[in-house]
Amino acid sequence: MTDPIASRGAAQSTRPQPDRLREFARTLLRGERPYMLYIAFAILLVIFSLASPWFLSVDNFLNIGRQTTLVSIVAVGMTFVIIARQIDLSVGSTLALSGMAAALAMSHINNSWIVGAIAGVGTGALVGLLNGLLTMRLAIPSFLVTLGTLSAARGLALMVTNTKPVIITDETYFSIFGEGSFLGIPAPIAWTLAATIVGILLLHYNIFGRRIYAAGGNPTAALYSGIQVRRVTTLAFILTGMLAGLAALVLSARSHAARPDVVEGMELDVIAAVILGGCSLFGGRGFILGTLLGSLIIGTLNNGLVLLGISSPMQLVIKGAIIVAAVAFTKR
Amino acid sequence: MSEPHPIAGAPSQAPLVRVEGITKSFGGVRALRGVNLEVRPGEVHALLGENGAGKSTLIKILSGVHTHDSGSIEIAGNKVAFDTPAKARDAGIAVVYQDLSLVESLSVGANLMLGREPRTRLGFLRKRQLMAEVEAFLKRHGIPLDPRVSVGSLPFAYRQMTEICKALMGDVRVLILDEPTSALTGDEEQILFDAIKTVTDRGVGVIYVTHRLNEVFRVSQRVTVFRDGSNVGTFTTAETDMKQLVAAIVGPGHAAMQAQETTSGRAERTPPAATDAGSSPGSPVLSLSNVSNDRLRHVDLTLLKGEIHGLAGLIGSGRTEILQTIFGLRRIETGDVAIDGETRQLRSPAEAIECGMALVPEDRHVQGLILEHSIERNLTLPRLAHFSRWGWVQQRASVQGARAAISRLAVRAPGPATPVKNLSGGNQQKVVFAKWSHPRPRVLLLDEPTVGVDVGAREEIYILVREAAKVGTGILVVSSDLGELLLLCDRISVVADGRISKTFKRGELGDAEELHHLIQLSQTADEQAA
Repeated sequence: MTDPIASRGAAQSTRPQPDRLREFARTLLRGERPYMLYIAFAILLVIFSLASPWFLSVDNFLNIGRQTTLVSIVAVGMTFVIIARQIDLSVGSTLALSGMAAALAMSHINNSWIVGAIAGVGTGALVGLLNGLLTMRLAIPSFLVTLGTLSAARGLALMVTNTKPVIITDETYFSIFGEGSFLGIPAPIAWTLAATIVGILLLHYNIFGRRIYAAGGNPTAALYSGIQVRRVTTLAFILTGMLAGLAALVLSARSHAARPDVVEGMELDVIAAVILGGCSLFGGRGFILGTLLGSLIIGTLNNGLVLLGISSPMQLVIKGAIIVAAVAFTKR
Repeated sequence: MSEPHPIAGAPSQAPLVRVEGITKSFGGVRALRGVNLEVRPGEVHALLGENGAGKSTLIKILSGVHTHDSGSIEIAGNKVAFDTPAKARDAGIAVVYQDLSLVESLSVGANLMLGREPRTRLGFLRKRQLMAEVEAFLKRHGIPLDPRVSVGSLPFAYRQMTEICKALMGDVRVLILDEPTSALTGDEEQILFDAIKTVTDRGVGVIYVTHRLNEVFRVSQRVTVFRDGSNVGTFTTAETDMKQLVAAIVGPGHAAMQAQETTSGRAERTPPAATDAGSSPGSPVLSLSNVSNDRLRHVDLTLLKGEIHGLAGLIGSGRTEILQTIFGLRRIETGDVAIDGETRQLRSPAEAIECGMALVPEDRHVQGLILEHSIERNLTLPRLAHFSRWGWVQQRASVQGARAAISRLAVRAPGPATPVKNLSGGNQQKVVFAKWSHPRPRVLLLDEPTVGVDVGAREEIYILVREAAKVGTGILVVSSDLGELLLLCDRISVVADGRISKTFKRGELGDAEELHHLIQLSQTADEQAA
C-alpha cells in the first residue's frame, strides 16, 4: 500500500543538484535573505556621504575597518552565544581584563608576544568558562551571570594595577597584532577576517555549529537527540571569551599599552551588530556573514556621527535610537 | 451525500450556528472551498477530516483568528463576522485548542478566574472567595481538579481539563473542542464526556474535532466530514457506521481504506514477531532488573529482539518515565539495565544513543523536533557523528540521507530544506521516526507514537514500526490508545504507580475493553496495597 506514496516521495527527491556556488551561498546565508541589511547599510552610506565630504574616502573606509575590528571580532563569538539562546554582557570587561593579563604577563613573566597572547586569550577563555558553568550548571539566566561578570571582570582589571595602564614594549607583538600586515592587509583587519573565517567554518561546516543551532533552536529536542546542550553552550561562552581576548591583543598592540578602563559599553555595539545581522534573540537563527555586515553598519554609524561633528552624548542617543529602529525594521 | 438532508425525527429548533459557503485562501492555496456546517442548541456535532482537510481553518475563522473570504456565518440567526478572537468570545464562542493557553505559574483556580477575579473595593484579590467559587464550580461538574495546584505541575491531561473548564466557565453558547482526548486516558475521557453532557444540557452547541472515530459514536448526534476544503457530507451519527465515515474521510480509492479495514479487524490479527521465523525472539535485547528512581519502583522488564512490547496504564502511572529512564533522561538510583546481556550505564541521552537506544517522544513539538529548522537538520541531529569526518559535517551525505529518508518514509514535503514547521502532524511524526532509521537502533522507544496523526499517516507509522521489529529492533510502545497497543504488540505490560504490575501475551488478551479493565484493576489493587 505504500507504493503510490513512496513513488511520489521519490519523484520529489530526484531534483537537479544545485551547483556548487549556490550551495556555498546557501550554507553561508543559512537560507536568510538579508536585503533589509543591505538597504540599511546603503541608506547609512548615502546619508553620511551627503552630509560629509570626507566620508567617501579610502582613508576613511580603512578607518572604519580599523575601528570596527574590535566589535567584529567579538561579535563572531557573540553570534554563537546568541544562536545558543544565551547572551554575554561581559565581553567589554573580559576584553579589558584580558588586555591587562597579556601586558602583565609580558612585563612580569617573559617579554615575548607568545606569552602575552596565551595570557590574553587564556584569560578570556577562563571568563567564558565561568560564564558557561554558572549559566548551565547552576541554571542562572546568562543575562544575570554575565551582568555579574561584566562588573566583576572590570573591577578585577582596575584592581590589579590600581587603575594604572601597563606599557607593552615588545615590537613583534605590535607588528603581529597592530602595525604589521599580512598579505598586504593591515593586521587588525587580517585578524578580523581570520576570526570571521574560523567562525564560518565552526558554525556552518562543523558539527559544533549544528549542535549550537540545535541547542538554541529547541534545547529539549536537542537533549532528546543526544546533544549535550550544557557542554555545547559552555563552549560557545568560552569561544566568545577567547575572541574578546584576541580583540584585547589587537587593541593593546595599537596603543602600545593595556588600559583597564577601555571599551566600556562595548557589549551594546556587539549585541546590536549580531542582532542587526539577523540573529534571533530566541535562539536557533543567525549567520556569521550577517554579523560581519551588522558590525560594519555599527562601525559606519560610529564613524559617520563623529565626522558630522555630533557631540558624544548626542551620538549615544542617536545610536541607541537607530539601533532599536533598525532591529525593529529587520526582525521578522 | 453532498448536502445535509433534513433529518427525520430531529429536533426542529433553529440552528445555533449556521455556516454557509465559507471560502478561505492562504496565498494561492485554497484551504476552504465553500463549506457548510450547522450546529443546533444542545447538539454535539463532530467534525472529521484528514490533516489539511480544512477543519482547523474553519475553527480559526469561527474563533476570529482568521477572517473568511466569502460566505456567511450566523450565530442564533444573527449574521456575524469576527475579525478578532475577542469578538468571537463576546459572541459566546469558546475554543479549546490542542496547544493550551494556560499560565503555568498560576494555580488552577487563578487560571480559571483569570481576568475576572473577585476583588475587594480597593482592588485587592479575594483569594479565599476565588478558590471557593472555583471549588464549587468544579464540584458541580464533577471535575477532579484541585484549584490550588499550580498548572505547571500538572500532567498534560489535567492541564487540558483545566483548559476545558476555563472555556466552560464563561457565558458560552458554542464550545469548540479541537482533539480534546488526544492525551486523555479512558477515565479522563469519561469525565470530559460527562462535562460535555453538562454543557449541552444547558443548550450549548459543541463542535467536536477529532481523529478518533469511536468517540464520534460515543458523544455526537451528528457528524460532518471535510475533505480537501469541501464538505463530503453530514450524517446522523446513529444512522452511520465506522466504515462509511472512513470512506468519507479518505475519499475514494485511497490506500488507507484497506488499512482501516485491517485496523477495525484488530482482534483477528496474530502477533507477527513472536511467530516470525526470521527473528530470534528468544534473546533479550534490553532488560531492566529492579530499577528504581524518583518515579519508578522496582521495575523488571525484558524486551526481546524483534518484539513489540506495549506499556499500558493511566497517565502518570510511570509509563513515560520508564522510557525516559531507559533513554538516560532520568537517573537510576538502584537496579541494573542490561543491553544485549551487558550491564550498561545510561546517564544521558547521548550515552543511551551510543548504546543503540532511540526515543520517539510524547510531544514532538517540544521534545522531538526543532520546528524552525529544516528536515535535513532535524534528521541529522542524533547521528551527527555518522554524517561528519573529523568533526566536519559531510553536507552532501547529510542531504542525500535526508532525501532517502523522505522518500522511504513517504514524507510529504518539497525537499530536505523544508522547515519542519511547514509539515502536517503526521508528516512531522514521520520525520521524528526517520531521525532514528539509520543506523538501525537496537531498541526503539515509542511514546504515544500516533497522537495528533490522521488515519492515513497512522497506518503508515504502524507499518514502519512493524518493519523495524521485523529486522530485529526491540520496540517498547507507550500508548493511551488501547486498540493501538492490541493491534501492534506481541506482549503488553500494565504499569501502575511506577511499577509493572503484570505482563500479558497478546493471545491472553481479548479486546480493548478487557485491557482497560485490567488497567483499572491493577490501579485499585495498588491503592489497596498502599
